Amino acid sequence: MSTVTSPGAPAPTAAHHRRMTPAKWLKQNLFSNWYNSLLTIVFGAFILWVGVSLVRYLLHIDTEIIRVNLKLYMAGRFPNEQLGRLWLAIYIAVAGAALLARATALNAQRKATEAGIGFSSRSNWVDVMRRFWPIGALVVFTLSFTETITPTVLTLGAAAIGLGAYRIGAALPTSIVRRSWLIPVVGAVAFYLALAGFGGVGWDLWQGFFLNIVLTVAGISLAFPLGLMLALGRRSSLPAVRLLSVTYIEFLRGVPMITLLLMGAFALGFLIPGDVQFSLFLRILIAITLFQSAYIAEVVRGGLQSVPKGQIEAGQSIGLSPWKTMRLIVLPQALRNVIPAMVGQFISLFKDTTLVYIVLLLDLLRAAFVSTYQPEFLAQGLDAVVLPFAALYFWVGSYVMSRESRRLEKKLGVGVR
Amino acid sequence: MTDQTVFSDATQAAGTGETMIELTGVDKFFGDFQALKNINIRVGKQEVVVVIGPSGSGKSTMIRCINRLEVHDSGRIVVGGIELSDDIKSIQEIRKETGMVFQQFNLFPHLSVIDNITLGPRQVLNLPKGQAEELARELLIKVQIPEQANKYPGQLSGGQQQRVAIARSLAMNPKVMLFDEPTSALDPEMIKEVLDTMQELAESGMTMIVVTHEMGFAREVANRVVFMADGEIVEVGTPEHFFDDPTEDRTKLFLSQIL
Repeated sequence: MSTVTSPGAPAPTAAHHRRMTPAKWLKQNLFSNWYNSLLTIVFGAFILWVGVSLVRYLLHIDTEIIRVNLKLYMAGRFPNEQLGRLWLAIYIAVAGAALLARATALNAQRKATEAGIGFSSRSNWVDVMRRFWPIGALVVFTLSFTETITPTVLTLGAAAIGLGAYRIGAALPTSIVRRSWLIPVVGAVAFYLALAGFGGVGWDLWQGFFLNIVLTVAGISLAFPLGLMLALGRRSSLPAVRLLSVTYIEFLRGVPMITLLLMGAFALGFLIPGDVQFSLFLRILIAITLFQSAYIAEVVRGGLQSVPKGQIEAGQSIGLSPWKTMRLIVLPQALRNVIPAMVGQFISLFKDTTLVYIVLLLDLLRAAFVSTYQPEFLAQGLDAVVLPFAALYFWVGSYVMSRESRRLEKKLGVGVR
Repeated sequence: MTDQTVFSDATQAAGTGETMIELTGVDKFFGDFQALKNINIRVGKQEVVVVIGPSGSGKSTMIRCINRLEVHDSGRIVVGGIELSDDIKSIQEIRKETGMVFQQFNLFPHLSVIDNITLGPRQVLNLPKGQAEELARELLIKVQIPEQANKYPGQLSGGQQQRVAIARSLAMNPKVMLFDEPTSALDPEMIKEVLDTMQELAESGMTMIVVTHEMGFAREVANRVVFMADGEIVEVGTPEHFFDDPTEDRTKLFLSQIL
């Protein structure tokens, strides 16, 4: 390609490009010889055809089905008269996230100050917008299908609460900032109580996209520590622990996730003796956690192996115990090394939450699909509308996660060798 | 260092005469390969012993046995009066008293220079943070890079990294320092700064065992030079004896190859 610039002389090339007329550019890049011209024409025609079809389709699309079923997609059959609880839970989640973000920033600031390094606390809004605009766009897109002003007002309320919590977060006492893990723990309890406490809505009625999000967040929060323990167990010097970990990991990795979901939904009741009854939601969450933890264990194991032996020896030689060597030296480096793989695993967990379709949990995908069976929408080819609609939510979530992972990688890459 | 006595017997310690490290009949196998064959050596307090020899001769293995980075198969190792055994306590005690500097520095890349140095004192000696940092800053002045305290290892030159590694070991206030080819991974222009730091340390009375190929350092700083080949101690002597008048043929051959 002519756009390849030699690193030695970037300036003249740039000037050269600026002087190039469009006709010249076309000739050089698209019609330089007969087969290039042929490829340009064929692919040009194909792209044009796809583009025109798409535009025509989008112009004639009837989004009535989305407008009617938006609540079904987002929250399933969550009782309408209890929707206030759902909004309260969302507010708690938003406030918790904002507080956690502030506490993390404060922690970084404190560490930097103690080390005597300058710290740019420009956690400006431009930066936040640049990072999370796809989610913002998705929210606006979702709100465009609402029929009353109420959801928009309530969403603005969530935004206000997020901003407010971030502001208030500045006044968090140091004792809490140092223990920032308290925020998600307290937040999770409050979140649950807001939804299910005091005669509320139990988790078997947590549905729609809300269910996908809850399963993802809960799945990651449970599977990560379990996977970490399994990875450490696999390297343990105790043969029994090692054998147990290896067996667990290899067994669960060798089984399709759908099998586990079906087992969780239909077989677990027979396997567990006595009258212990878990709700379907819990059984599915357990199945997802067990499955994902085995994969996370393997990702962490890769990270542990990537840390050079000399690091362990250096830790030992200054007298650190094996556990402290692991916790303070090996693990931080191992986990940093596997951020991309780990986030990849989280993204796949997020998308795999749609597999609950198979056990009849009404997640976003299932809600989208069943809505096409409603009498007024039956057999009108509306799958072509609702399936891309559902896919969009997963794509945005995955995209933002993957961008955040790259950002984290860069940020933590400070001390690379 | 001006002691002219010829120590042909490795168990005759120099320094103050008080024994700091003693290896008796130490053997070490890697599978069928015998890396150490009946090693007997005694290192006195404040003595500097330089170990030289061709690669694969067991030099590194020997000093790595002293702080249990390698497990010896038979024989006794006593450091500062503590006998090394399978008991994890004795291992921890000896590691606390023994600093080690590696060929590849092995600094912790995810920690700043100061955190690298304070990690041991804080986690093992339970020193409060402020005190540990004060100690770290003093040591950084000693190795002449106080301005690098808040940088990360990856931002330093090899010579600077190795000096941080020395400071990290010294922060544990060890009685013995082991150096495993500390300058072999360095660019030539950085070797001197590290050797200078080591020489200062030797002059301050630290007991040291140094595995190195730096013959100049051996000649100038060592009380005794130990020559190893094929897992055995072949010859031991003062630098003068060793470089000017070696007795063993293998020593002569080795010296003729490198000098």
